[in-house]
Amino acid sequence: MKGEAMRNDDREITLGEYLAARGVSRRAFLKFACSLASLMALPPSAGVAMAEALAKAKRPSVLWFPFQECTGCTESITRSHEPTIESMIFDMISLDYQETLMAAAGHQSEAAREQAMKDNYGKYLLLIDGSVATGLEGAYSCIGGQTNLSWLTEAAKGAAAIIAIGSCASYGGIPKANPNPTGARAVSDIVKDKPIVNIPGCPPIPAVLTGVLAHFLTFGSLPELDPLGRPKAFYGETIHDRCYRRPFYDQGRFAKTFDDEGARNGWCLYELGCKGPVTYNACATIKWNAGTSFPIQSGHGCLGCSEPDFWDKGSFYRPLSVAHWGDKATLGGAAAVGVALGAAAALAARRRQDKIVKGD
Amino acid sequence: MDLLTFARGPGMYWAVTIFVIGVLWKLAGVILLRAKRDLSEARKPSAWTGLRAILTRSWPRRAFVHGTAFSEVLGYAFHVGFLFTLVFYLPHVLFFEDVFKGLLGVNFQRLFGVPWPYFSGGMVNFFGAVAVAALIALLVHRIVNPVKRLISNFDDYFSWLVTIAPLVTGMLTYGHVGAPYQTLIAVHLLSVELLLVWFPFGKLMHTFTVFMSRGTQGMQFERKGATL
Amino acid sequence: MSASDVNTEHPLELETPRFSVKKPAVRYDKQGEVPDAERVKRAMQNFVRDFGRSAAIYMESCVHCGNCAEACHFYATTNDPKYTPIWKIEPFKQAYKREYGPFAWFYRALNLKSAVTVERLEEWQELIYDSCTVCGRCSLICPMGIDIASLVSLARHGMAKAGLVPHELWAVAERGEKEGSPLGATPKVFKDRIEWLADDYEVDIPLDKAKADVLCTMSSIEIMKYPESIVATAKIMKHVGANWTFRLDGYEATNFGLLSGNADWQRDMSMKLIDAAIACGAKTLVLPECGHAYGALRWMGANLYGKPLPFRVVHIAEFMAEHVKSGKLRLKKVGKSVTFHDPCQISRRGGAIEAPREVLAALGVELREMEPTKGLNWCCGGGGGVVTIHRADALRYKVFQLKMNQIDDTGAELPVTSCSNCRQTFDDGQAHFKWDKTMNSLLEMVAHNLEGEAA
Repeated sequence: MKGEAMRNDDREITLGEYLAARGVSRRAFLKFACSLASLMALPPSAGVAMAEALAKAKRPSVLWFPFQECTGCTESITRSHEPTIESMIFDMISLDYQETLMAAAGHQSEAAREQAMKDNYGKYLLLIDGSVATGLEGAYSCIGGQTNLSWLTEAAKGAAAIIAIGSCASYGGIPKANPNPTGARAVSDIVKDKPIVNIPGCPPIPAVLTGVLAHFLTFGSLPELDPLGRPKAFYGETIHDRCYRRPFYDQGRFAKTFDDEGARNGWCLYELGCKGPVTYNACATIKWNAGTSFPIQSGHGCLGCSEPDFWDKGSFYRPLSVAHWGDKATLGGAAAVGVALGAAAALAARRRQDKIVKGD
Repeated sequence: MDLLTFARGPGMYWAVTIFVIGVLWKLAGVILLRAKRDLSEARKPSAWTGLRAILTRSWPRRAFVHGTAFSEVLGYAFHVGFLFTLVFYLPHVLFFEDVFKGLLGVNFQRLFGVPWPYFSGGMVNFFGAVAVAALIALLVHRIVNPVKRLISNFDDYFSWLVTIAPLVTGMLTYGHVGAPYQTLIAVHLLSVELLLVWFPFGKLMHTFTVFMSRGTQGMQFERKGATL
Repeated sequence: MSASDVNTEHPLELETPRFSVKKPAVRYDKQGEVPDAERVKRAMQNFVRDFGRSAAIYMESCVHCGNCAEACHFYATTNDPKYTPIWKIEPFKQAYKREYGPFAWFYRALNLKSAVTVERLEEWQELIYDSCTVCGRCSLICPMGIDIASLVSLARHGMAKAGLVPHELWAVAERGEKEGSPLGATPKVFKDRIEWLADDYEVDIPLDKAKADVLCTMSSIEIMKYPESIVATAKIMKHVGANWTFRLDGYEATNFGLLSGNADWQRDMSMKLIDAAIACGAKTLVLPECGHAYGALRWMGANLYGKPLPFRVVHIAEFMAEHVKSGKLRLKKVGKSVTFHDPCQISRRGGAIEAPREVLAALGVELREMEPTKGLNWCCGGGGGVVTIHRADALRYKVFQLKMNQIDDTGAELPVTSCSNCRQTFDDGQAHFKWDKTMNSLLEMVAHNLEGEAA
């Protein structure tokens, strides 16, 4: 990427010009725009409108702040084996701050950030990945001596919208797992007065971010969100409902171990703990690495990583239907309590009987 | 905590605990009551064979069939349908195998050599439908038949409700009908938890007492030589 | 009939024709001048006294399926749901759950079941007495195996102590306790009868032997209404060569203490027989043709005595069957078609199902079984004290139609039974309906057909 993207003058050319300069034909661009539209379940006409809007779009300022994160989301979004149009689009936002990718560092990067915020106040997009540490007033996660928490509250004021990338930013993610020592919180727990899109996943699928950005660029608004703030176009269905192994689930064919006959036959992974039925994401349709595969296809059950608190819902290998009934000790104790209460009741009854017989 | 996490976690934990406490309280509270020894001379040397009444009382004598066939047949349709869905559906089997392993420390298949059998979702759904239909017919009968209407009380109707709820919610969950799957399965689990919590306090206890009352009568009558 | 010193509010008129009281008013019979609260207290005390493990198991197991109604002759002939057998003990069950069950505390604290009231007990009087013969068919049909009939008997204990028994039943029970017989067959009357019967029929009837192997007993119904039974007993005992006797200190086999529910009187009545048997060193006590007498002594006697009885207890039909098998009782052949009415307390509740049939086989009759028969046979409708309760007559006659149809359907010439209360009920029904069949006694049939002797 591309220090080129940081030059001011580049901010003035449109996306259409930029791509044309790199040899992307108008036809290819239209095709891309239409496939993006259909990915988001928009009608074909929207694809044309999208292409036109995108072509004319000015590159918006985008600030990407990494908070308490593992950089996996960045890896996912930028990982490409070849330059893809998506990565070009990605280039075409004016990514004014991205720590992993930007060339500048230290005071220079801080200056760039502050400048971008000032110049584009009210218009920039804020991309957050990683959870926001709130413990010790946010001291657990700082950049340049400042807490993530203060960065967020400050930057949110001038943002047009916030995109929370990954499960950590969307819901608190792995840092939030019990006992949550850093007081990790979701972006939406901190910012209450700006539109927020959650793009959960650990990591999320690259096309989701592209789709959301394209939507924003085209329509000037964020796409329709579900009750958990996720774009319905990508998170509207469960893995289970789109899983290619679903017929095996219905037929009752399940793999019992990771290497048994069922597993090798590609049977349903319910018994091995797959959380597909309760996980909303596009993994089963868009898949990963340009449609190569997704966890279930590779033989491992869905972890449910795009759902809140997925890390704290018990073992990944505990099937969905195996609710926590307790343990031997608890049931043993309960049995002892039950027998004791019953014995007490029987004793009381016997005493009452004796009293009556004697009193006769 | 979202509904599914609650239903799958503390909800089930407490429901099972209350179930175990309640069932043992009821059973111990009855078994430990005073038992009167029968000093009369028995006609048969041993009354233990009277326990066969536990099996023989499963179907009425020919002279009684005419008046009871409706209830008996529908009762069996419900019980068979319900037990099939409970015991031969993989998600349920996994739960019971987990309990088995947790209590006995050994895997079911390892102990018995064969895995617990299960059938396809479609077949289980069919049996669930049979059970639901039978329950509805039985409720109508209970309301319409003068004898049943007279002797029925809150326990009869509430037990009916907590029994049909898991069946209906289970079928809705299987069919992904009416709400997002997470909600459906959470509601299904909660309906099971309601059944578990109510179980010791109403007529659902007949699950255990049927053996005790049939066995008691069987033995009492056997010693008189009056078993039929 | 000898005068009784029992002062009764309603005079006993067992001789008056049935149905002479038109439109009997709803009557809640009460005995004694006792405040209602005290009645309830006594009822509850005596309900609780009887609760034990078996009764508890039974009462916990009811699933309200209503099948028991289908077995009950009172429901079958009226279709009135109040005659559902398990409903007859509803106050008893209510008391159990509230006072004695494992969750009784909750029932009381949250008033999940209200306390039994005197009104409820009054309302239930007719269900516990008029419409239950304790025949036990309900116990057989119950899918949960609840012995409902036994629970009715237990419920009567509370009703009796509360003084809530139908009046005629109470009155005959009181006579039984005070005079030694419910029907006036006092020891003096019994002795008189024995003397003239022995004379008339020229048969030895030993009385008050100091020592005997077999102690025979009689029911007042036989003594007063079917005195030939006494003769028949004597003839058969002689025929088999038994060393037997009657005893005036223990001859009355009926137990109206049991039927009315007065547990103390039940014990008194049974103890007379037990003491008499012990006094003469009897090895066998023979019960007469009476149904509840069998249950009272054969199955309940030892428990009242507190230890196993030192003698065998058999019904006269069993005694005869044993002696048929041993060859001592040799019978002439009766070439008639017969159908046997199984007395509930001997057959279904008592277990002596085959004994009468073994005797009938020895009599060479053509046995045509009713449908249903043996342990599943219908009750005659007069047992459990019901035949004494005049206000229950209409109901009892409805039930009797079941028996008439059953017997007519067999096409048999002679209906035979081995219980004099059934016999009395059949005679009454026959008169009411002008039926063409008369019930016969197995005992008398045997006595009339002893080989080598005049009928």
